[in-house]
Amino acid sequence: MRHAFLALMILMGSVLAVSAQTLQPILQTHTDEIASPSRNSVSVALDDLVASGVPQVTDFLEQWVERNIWQRDDGVFYIAVEDGDELTLTDIDTGAQSMAPAAGFTQLRPNGGVRRVIGTALVQFQLLDPDLTRRETAVASIARRPEAGQLAPLLASIDGETDAALKARKVQLANFMSARFADSPADRIAAITSLSADTSVEARAVLNQILSTSSGVAERAPDGNIAMIHDPMLDPEASYGLLVEADLAPPRQTPSDIRTTLEANIDADTIAGFAVAEMNDPAKREAAYAALSDAGLAPLLITAPVRDAALSAHVFYDLYDEDDVEITAAASIALRSVETRVSTAQAVDLTLDALSLASIFFLAAIGLAITFGVMGVINMAHGEFIMMGAYTGFVVQQFIPNYTVSIIVALPLAFAVTFAAGVAMERLVIRHLYHRPLETLLATFGISIALQQLAKNIFGTQARPLTSPDWLAGAWVLNDVIQISYIRIAIFVLALIFLGLILYILKRTRLGLEVRAVTQNPGMASSMGINPDRINMMTFGLGSGIAGIAGVAIGLYAKVTSEMGSDYIVQSFMTVVVGGVGNVWGTLAGAAMIGFGQKGIEWLNPSNTLAAQTYMILFVILFIQFRPKGIVALKGRAAGD
Amino acid sequence: MQNTFIGKNPSVLWFLLGLSVFTVVVTLCSEALGADIISTSFLKTLGKTLCLCLVAIAMDVVWGYCGILSLGHFAFFGIGGYAIGMWLMYARTEDIVVASLQNATLPPTPDEVTTAIGSQIFGVVGSSDFPMIWALSHSLTLQLLAVVLVPGLLALVFGWLAFRSRVTGVYLSILTQAMTLALSLYFFQNDTGLRGNNGLSGLQNVPGLEAVSQATLSLWFFWGSAFALGAGYVLFAWIVSGKLGSVIRAIRDNEARVRFLGYHVESYKLFVFTVTAMVAGIAGALYYPQAGIINPAEIAPIASIYLAVWVAIGGRGRLYGAVIGAAVVSLMSSWFTGGAAPDINLGFYVVQWTDWWLVLLGLTFVVVTLFFPKGIGGVFDLIAKRKGDTA
Amino acid sequence: MTLRTTLLTSMSALALSVGATSAFAECAEPIQVGVLHSLSGTMAISETTLKDTMLMLIEQQNAAGGVLGCQIEAVVVDPASDWPLFAEKARELLTVNEVDVIFGNWTSVSRKSVLPVIEELNGLLFYPVQYEGEESSRNVFYTGAAPNQQAIPAVDYFLEELGVEKFALLGTDYVYPRTTNNILEQYLQDNGIASEDIFVNYTPFGQSDWATIVADVVALGEDGKQVGVISTINGDANIGFYKELAAAGISADDIPVVAFSVGEEELSGLDTSDLVGHLAAWNYFMSADGDANAAFIESWQAFAGEDRVTNDPMEAHYIGFNMWINAVEAAGTTDVDAVRAAMYGQEFPNLTGGTAVMLPNHHLAKPVLIGEITADGQFDIISQTSEVPGDAWTDFLPESAVLTSDWKDLGCGMFNTETETCVQLTSNY
Repeated sequence: MRHAFLALMILMGSVLAVSAQTLQPILQTHTDEIASPSRNSVSVALDDLVASGVPQVTDFLEQWVERNIWQRDDGVFYIAVEDGDELTLTDIDTGAQSMAPAAGFTQLRPNGGVRRVIGTALVQFQLLDPDLTRRETAVASIARRPEAGQLAPLLASIDGETDAALKARKVQLANFMSARFADSPADRIAAITSLSADTSVEARAVLNQILSTSSGVAERAPDGNIAMIHDPMLDPEASYGLLVEADLAPPRQTPSDIRTTLEANIDADTIAGFAVAEMNDPAKREAAYAALSDAGLAPLLITAPVRDAALSAHVFYDLYDEDDVEITAAASIALRSVETRVSTAQAVDLTLDALSLASIFFLAAIGLAITFGVMGVINMAHGEFIMMGAYTGFVVQQFIPNYTVSIIVALPLAFAVTFAAGVAMERLVIRHLYHRPLETLLATFGISIALQQLAKNIFGTQARPLTSPDWLAGAWVLNDVIQISYIRIAIFVLALIFLGLILYILKRTRLGLEVRAVTQNPGMASSMGINPDRINMMTFGLGSGIAGIAGVAIGLYAKVTSEMGSDYIVQSFMTVVVGGVGNVWGTLAGAAMIGFGQKGIEWLNPSNTLAAQTYMILFVILFIQFRPKGIVALKGRAAGD
Repeated sequence: MQNTFIGKNPSVLWFLLGLSVFTVVVTLCSEALGADIISTSFLKTLGKTLCLCLVAIAMDVVWGYCGILSLGHFAFFGIGGYAIGMWLMYARTEDIVVASLQNATLPPTPDEVTTAIGSQIFGVVGSSDFPMIWALSHSLTLQLLAVVLVPGLLALVFGWLAFRSRVTGVYLSILTQAMTLALSLYFFQNDTGLRGNNGLSGLQNVPGLEAVSQATLSLWFFWGSAFALGAGYVLFAWIVSGKLGSVIRAIRDNEARVRFLGYHVESYKLFVFTVTAMVAGIAGALYYPQAGIINPAEIAPIASIYLAVWVAIGGRGRLYGAVIGAAVVSLMSSWFTGGAAPDINLGFYVVQWTDWWLVLLGLTFVVVTLFFPKGIGGVFDLIAKRKGDTA
Repeated sequence: MTLRTTLLTSMSALALSVGATSAFAECAEPIQVGVLHSLSGTMAISETTLKDTMLMLIEQQNAAGGVLGCQIEAVVVDPASDWPLFAEKARELLTVNEVDVIFGNWTSVSRKSVLPVIEELNGLLFYPVQYEGEESSRNVFYTGAAPNQQAIPAVDYFLEELGVEKFALLGTDYVYPRTTNNILEQYLQDNGIASEDIFVNYTPFGQSDWATIVADVVALGEDGKQVGVISTINGDANIGFYKELAAAGISADDIPVVAFSVGEEELSGLDTSDLVGHLAAWNYFMSADGDANAAFIESWQAFAGEDRVTNDPMEAHYIGFNMWINAVEAAGTTDVDAVRAAMYGQEFPNLTGGTAVMLPNHHLAKPVLIGEITADGQFDIISQTSEVPGDAWTDFLPESAVLTSDWKDLGCGMFNTETETCVQLTSNY
C-alpha cells in the first residue's frame, strides 16, 4: 500500500516535472476521484489540480460542473458535447476537436455536494475573472461555503469590482466573513455590531455560528466562555440521559430491562422468593428486582431519588465554541436585536400570506356573492365553473405557446366560456326552480357531479399545468423574511379589480340598478319595464363568468384538476355566508376573516395544516350559529325573509 | 292501535312482507347453506345495500318529511361505523396480543398488554400510544352505546345551535355540509388517533367468532341488516303517521305558520334530526363490518350528497321511495362502475360506463329534480291512486 | 389515441384472454392471473399504467410459451379507487374467478383493505409500490421499496454527499409519510442530528397554499447549517410546492429536495423547469443504462404508445411477475403454498443492473438509485448503491427493532426476537 502510494507520488512528481502544462496526466492519477467523486474524497484531487497551476484547470472544472466531461473507456477524459449518438470531443490539453460515437464514453455527473466543493475550488480563479457571471458564481460559492481563507482574496477583489450590484454583495459578504474570520477581535466586533439591523438569513447564520455552543456535563463547571448553566430538574429524565451518555452514571433500567433480569433469575416458580405468577403486577416486579439487586444478582435499581442525587452532583452547561467573551457578548446583543426585527418581519409576512389567502378565497367566492348573495340562487356547480375557467386556460396554452399572450387570451375566453355555461344553466335548469331553493341546490349538485366527471373524461385525472408568464414568476422580496410571489400579488390585484368592478356594476350602471330592482321585488320591477328573465340570465352569467376568470388565476397559482372546484366550493359558500349574504363588502369581510383565521391557526400549530382547516370550519360553523346573518348583515326590507 | 297504524300505513305491511321474502330467498341461495347461487361477496353487497336503505329512510324522514336537507347524515353513518370499528379492532388485537404474551416467561403487566395492543394498532401509522378517544374501546357495550349516542349527541348539539338561531333552508344545508367537511378532515388527521387516512380495517373479522366462516358471518350480518331495516321502517312509519307526523310535515310546508299555531318548532325539528342521526349511526355500525374497512373518505361531503341523490331519485316523502332509491342507485352504481356493464359503441366513440356513469347519474338527477320531484316512488303513488279510483 | 381506445374497450370485459389459444393444447384450463388496479377514480392515473404493464407481461409470457404449458389469462377488475371495494373485488377474484395470483393495489389503505381477505382465503398478492413497512403478510410479496430501500439511502446521501445538517421532513398527511418520517426522525437522531434541527410538517392531499411552509423551510437556514428537504408530498400537491420554491428563488443548490413520490409518470406532461436539479430516490429510473431496460422500454412503448414512460412500480411488477413464473415452474403447480415456498431465493435480473433476490421476509433485495430531475422530465442517475435487502420491520424504531419476518424458516412474519415468540400469524391490518 505504502509502496503504491510512493510510486504514485513519484509518478505524479515526474509528470509535473516533465510536462507542467498538461492536465490529462494529473487527471489520470486521480481517475477514481474524478470519475466517481464524493464530497469528501474529491478535495484530494482538487487540491492537486489547483496546486498544479495548469491554466486548463479552470476550464476543466467549469466543464466538469456543467457535466461536459466524458471519460473514454480507457480512462482518458474529454470535454464533449452530446449530439444524438455522437460526441463532439475536445481534447482537454490541446483543444483539438474530434467526433466519436457516444457508446465508448461515460458522462461524469458530479452530484450537488461535489459541485459545491468544485465551486469553492474555482473561487480563486473566478473572483477576478473579467466575465461578470463567473465572478457572480464565485461570490455565490463563497456565500454557500464561507471559509476563513477566502476573506483576504474577497477583500482584495472589492476595489477592482466594476459591477455595482456585485460590489455591494461583495462588501456585504466580506462583512459577514469579517464577523467570523477577521484577525483582530475589534474588527470582528465592529462587523458583528453592524449586523444587528440585518434580518437576512445569512446574517443570522453568521451570528448563530459565532454563538454556537456545545453542551456538556461535569462535576464542576469548566473554565471557558460559558453560555448557560442548565437546571437539570426541569427535565430530569433527559438530563439523566446526558449523564449516562457522558459515562457519569449507570443507565436507568427500563421495564424491559427489569423483565429481562427477572427472566434470567427464575428459580423454579419463584424469583428471589416472589412467585412468577405474581409478576403481572409492576410493583411486585420492582420488589423482586430490588431483592435480586440486594443479593448482588442485578445492578442497583435507579429510582427517582437515586437519579436526582446523581443530577444534583453534576453541572450541566453550554460552552461557547468561541473563547472571546466580548465577541460572544456582542454577538448575542446583535442577535437579540435581529430577532426582534425578524419577529416583526415574520408578523408582516404572515399578514401578507393571510392577505393573499383571503384574496384567493375572495376571488373564488366573488362569483357566488353575485349569484347567491345578490340573486339568492344557490349554485353548487360554481366550483366547476372555476374548474372550467382553469381548463380553458390550459387549452389556450396548448395552442398559444407564448405564456403572456395566452394569459391575455385566456382571461376573456374563460369569462366567455363560463358566461355561456352559466346562461345555459340558468335558462335550462335554474329558471324553473326559482321558488324552490333546496331543489336548485340539488339540481346544481347534479350538474356539478356531471361536469366534474366530464372534465375527467376529457382531460384525465392528473393535474394539468397552467404556466404563468416569466414576469409573474419569482417573488417580490423585501428581505429574507418578507417576500411574496408575484402571482399572489397578481391575484390580490385581480381580486381588487373585481371588487371595484362589481361594486361599480351594481351601484352605478343601469344593469346594476335593474339587478337590485329584480332581486328586491321582481313583480314591481317587471311592471316598471324591466325584463326579469333577461336580468336574471345576465346576472347569473356575470357571476359564472367571474368564476371562470378566478379559475384561470387559481390555476396559475396552483394547479388544474377536475376536482379543484370541490376544493373551493364549501369554503366559498362559507365565505359568502359568514360575510353576510347580499353584500359584496360582506364577502370581502368573510374572505378576510377566513384567510386571516386560517393563517392564525396555522401559526399556532405550524406542523399541521389540516388541523388549521378543520378548526377554521368549526369556527365558522359556530360563528354562523351566533350571527346567522353574517358579519355585514343587511337591515330593513333588503334583508328579505 | 296497531290496527289503525297498519290501516293508515298499508305500505308497512307490504314492505315487511317483501323484506321477509327477500331475506328468505337470499338465505336459501347463499353459500352458507351450500346453495352457491349468491356468492359471499355479493351477499355482503346485498347486506350493505340494506344498511344504505336504512340510512336513506332516515334521510327521507329528515328531508322528505321535515324539510331539513341535511348534508351530514352520512357523516353520522360513518361515526357509527367508527364506533363499532374501534371495538372490533381493539378486541381482535387484544386477543392476538394476549395469546402471544401467553408464552412469555413472566405474566404480562397490564401496561405491557396495552402497549402491545397500541403498537399493533398504531404501529402502521408510526406511533404506539393510545389516544384518549380509544378509552372505551375495550368494551363492546360502551362502543355499542357510542354507535347511537355519539351521532345523537352531535346532532343534538349541532341541531340545537342551528335551529335556535333559525338557520333554515339552504343555509342549513351548507352548514351541515361544512360540518361534514370538518368531521372528515378531523377523522383524516393522524393526531385524532383514528389511524388517519388508513382508517380502521379488518372489520369483517369479529373477535370471538373466528371459527365462523365469512360465508356464515355475512349471512348473519345480512339478517341483522334486514331486521334493522324492518325495525327502522316501522319506527319511522310510526313517527311520520299520527299527530307527530302531521306537525313534522306542517313544518316542512310552512314553518312560520306552525310556529304561530303555538308549536315549539325547534323541538320537533331537533327530535327528528337527532333520531335520524342515531338510526344513521346504527346503519353505519352494521354496514362497515360487512365492508371490512372504514376511513375518512367514506364520510366526505360527497357521500352525503349521494344520499340526497338516492332519496330524490327514489322519491321524497315516502319511505319506500327512499328504499327503492338507495337500493336501485347504489346497486346500479356498483354495476356500472364495476366494469360489468356493456359498453355502447357509437361508431365514432365508445361509451365506457366506468367513465360516463357519473355524468349520466348527475344529469338524471337534474331531470328528476326538474320534472319528477316525486321520483320513482311517484310511480307507485300513481298505481295506488288508479287502484283507488277503480275500487 | 386509437390504441388507448382499444385498451379501454378491452379492459371493461371482465375476463380478458391474451394470446393464441391453440398453442396450449396440453392444458385444459388457462391459468388465471388477477389484476386488481383502479381503472377509475383518483388512483386511476397511476394504476391504469400498471394494469397495462401486467397485460403486456402476460402477453409476452404467452408468446414465450405461457407457464407449465398453459396459457395465462388476465382477469382485470376495477376497484375504482374505493378502498372497501378493493376487499370486495379481491374476494370476488379469489372465490368467483378463482385466480391463482393477484397483482395489484396502490396505497397502503387499499392493501390493508385487501389483507384480511387474501389471508382468509389464502390468496397470493404482489404489491408493487414503495410503502412504509411495519407489516408482513404470509400472502403478500412486497416488490416495492421498504423504507430502508428508499428513504434511508436518500437520507444517507443527504448526510454524506450534500452535507445537510438540518432537515425539513415535509409530507402529505397519510400513513406512508407519517411512518416514513417517524423512522427518519429516529434515524437522523441516531446519526447525530439534534431533534431541534428536524422540522416536520404535514399538509392535506392537494395542498396548494405553500407560501408559509416554504418560508418556514428557508428560515431553517438561519443558524448557518445546510438545509435539505425530504419530501413525501404526494401527487398534485407537489406542483404548488415546487412552484412556490422556485418563486422564492430557491434552487436545488441552496436547498436540495429529495422526493419519494415523484417519478417519471408524475412528471410526464408537466412543466418541470421548476423542478430541475431536485432529487428523487427510487429503485428504478427510465434513464438507467442497460440492454434489459432498453428492451423493456421498447416493448412498453410498442405496447402502450410511443410517448409513454416507464417507472419504478412497473419494474416491480416486471420482477414480481417473472419471479412468480419461475416459482410456478419450479414448484410445478400454481398452488399458493407451493409457489410461496418456491419464491424464496428466486433471483431475477433488475432492469437497472444487478440481481433482485426474493428474501424470506417477502421483500426484494434491490439497488437504490438517486436521480436529479432534468428538464425533459427524466432523471439523471447520480448515485446507485449495491443491492439493499428490504426490511419489513425497521431497525430504527424501538417497537419494531425487535421484530423480524421470516416465512421460510421461522414461519412467522412478526417474530419477536427478544421473547423468541411469534406475535401473530396474520398481519396487522
